Amino acid sequence: MKTSRRTLLKTSAAAAAAASFDWTRAMAQAETVRIGTIYDLSGPFAAGGSVASSVGAQIAIDLCNEKGGIGGKYKVSAVNADSQSKADVAINEVERLINQEKVDIIDGVYASAHAVPLAAKVEQQKKILWITTAVATAVFKDKNLQYVFRAQIHSDQYGQAFASFITEHAKGKLGMEPQAVKVALIHEDGPYGVGVAAADESYSKAAGLQVVLKEGYSASAPDLSALVTKIKRSGADVISHAGYNPDITLFLRQARESGLRFKMLFGAGAGYSQLDKLRATFGKDIDNFCNIDPVPAQLLDPAKLAPGVGDLIKIMVERYKAKTGANDVPPHCSMGFNQTWVLLNNVLPVAKDKYGGFDPEAIRKAALDVDIPPGGTIQGYGVKFYKPGTPLSGQNERSTPVVMQNAGEHISVVWPTNIRTQDPVFPLPKDSVYGA
Amino acid sequence: MDIYLLEAIINRILLGGVLALLALGLNLIFGVIDVVWIAYADIVMCGMYALYFLYAEYGVPLPVACLIAIIGVSILGVVVHLLIIAPVLNSPPLNQLLATGGLLFFLQSFATLLFGTDFRNIGVRLPILEFATMYISFARLIAFMVGLIGAVVLYLFLKRTYIGTAIRAIAQDRDIVGLMGVDQRRIYLVTSAIGGALAGLAACLLALQYDVHPFIGNTFGPVIFMICVLGGLGNMIGGFAASFIISQIIAIGGYYSNTEWSYVLAFTFFIVLMFIRPRGLFAR
Repeated sequence: MKTSRRTLLKTSAAAAAAASFDWTRAMAQAETVRIGTIYDLSGPFAAGGSVASSVGAQIAIDLCNEKGGIGGKYKVSAVNADSQSKADVAINEVERLINQEKVDIIDGVYASAHAVPLAAKVEQQKKILWITTAVATAVFKDKNLQYVFRAQIHSDQYGQAFASFITEHAKGKLGMEPQAVKVALIHEDGPYGVGVAAADESYSKAAGLQVVLKEGYSASAPDLSALVTKIKRSGADVISHAGYNPDITLFLRQARESGLRFKMLFGAGAGYSQLDKLRATFGKDIDNFCNIDPVPAQLLDPAKLAPGVGDLIKIMVERYKAKTGANDVPPHCSMGFNQTWVLLNNVLPVAKDKYGGFDPEAIRKAALDVDIPPGGTIQGYGVKFYKPGTPLSGQNERSTPVVMQNAGEHISVVWPTNIRTQDPVFPLPKDSVYGA
Repeated sequence: MDIYLLEAIINRILLGGVLALLALGLNLIFGVIDVVWIAYADIVMCGMYALYFLYAEYGVPLPVACLIAIIGVSILGVVVHLLIIAPVLNSPPLNQLLATGGLLFFLQSFATLLFGTDFRNIGVRLPILEFATMYISFARLIAFMVGLIGAVVLYLFLKRTYIGTAIRAIAQDRDIVGLMGVDQRRIYLVTSAIGGALAGLAACLLALQYDVHPFIGNTFGPVIFMICVLGGLGNMIGGFAASFIISQIIAIGGYYSNTEWSYVLAFTFFIVLMFIRPRGLFAR
């Protein structure tokens, strides 16, 4: 067959274009690691800390790329998904990230109610789920997960901190034996709230505290006045509350309107960690409330952390404020940043260099090699994951929460005592609208 | 009687007043136009945002801000009717449901886009009434009283005015009323405006007790819908009574068992009633 000059030119151009396209694509694939991120960017959880977590994660990704990428060589490209505060949407979005976007690593997850089904789903598909924020112990407990990891604290630790704080201070601050202290445990009825309340109950009973009420409610309940009335009837001295944002504001407002008085209220992170938002609604009324959560990194003394970690905190805080315009940097920003940073800097480089790639199997092995001593992350704790075959396989065994107390816009660490920045105000002062 | 139980009951009666107002608006629209506004609670959300911005951001005096919010939501009701309801008036019920369901998602997403996901509070702090170791929220008391007054005014409007009579007539038999010279289109618009105004009034009352955020409608929507169905969709007196019945089941159930079980109890009651009286508790 005779080939004309025109046809030859056309064919050559097409071949060159195809060749160059494939080459470009191959280069892009070689240089970019695609990570799916999933947070609640809309719906009630968004303002409860999920958006703050997603901003923290994005700052970690940006910072990693500015330093040349993973190991200084491989850029990170985030494929973002919004789980809309709905578990079914979270599942569908992760399905999309894995099957359509073809990502092997999912980073994020704010709500424990989403983390529980997602962990099972991602594990089944042998992809990596890197949980940054959700805390329910139930995500890992007795599941022997191999591909799901969480450097974040878990809900059992809230109960431990709650009971330890009261036991330590009951006599000195309240003038009561711990056995005389009555505690009420209230919680939203998802895995997060249930997990925290179960741990609170277990550790409180072990410490000899009197659990006079333990009750769950739906986070979208339109009214909590009956619950408030029951707490009044129980005569509780101390309340532990695990809730999100709409239910926390509803509870506190109805508690004030119903004349509920107590010696202290302990929040369990989530909505209680969004101090600027709570303050906008309640002003000074919430002064001196305690909150148990991983520490916001900026509250730690950089001198007590590993070299360079203090600088990292400074950058994170500056960027969060610049991105959001907020004055207060919530703990959720630190959670999103910290866990994502560990993934990008302590896991993925090892996966590539030691185990030969960024596939789930290599990442899993690299994660199990992680051994960061206490003080090595921006939230103060170290990272070492429980090994497969142990009851909490995949959970960080070195994570620790703190008890914080807020007065005005200033937050202090009041427990553990060895790292506290202030002696706790306990009980609430008499002039507090909630003070007993 | 146990003083704590009494407090729980009174608090729930007060909340029942606001729910009754919402149920009245939804029932009025269904009774006359025969379309269920699934997005009704989200229209309330629009009113709450209007009040928040007028009062808390722009410093408009509260009564004036409330009036503007009510008028604004009333106009929104008319717009919703013209743009969404009117085109599907003769469509199958499923299509109508999808149209108003779509409006629900549109309003929530639009509010998220415009205002973000933050919780906003109008910052009105009303005193608390205390007697015999019982505490009653003044905000709830006001909401209850205004809700009741709103219901009475609506009742008088429907009973004593020509348009009210026409509205009731359409609710009873839309075909015959058309033959008697009543302009159905005009009545539909008036009904949508009144339904919107009731949503606006409820928004003002709820803003005294709740933060506004794009998803506040999810808190009230399912309960209001259940109340309306329980009382008989379109039956205004039924919906009014059902709001107090459901409120008390939740209050007493919550007091003697726990908050989660109280809702299980309320929904069980609802399901059983649907078997016994499928057209609602007060259907004739």
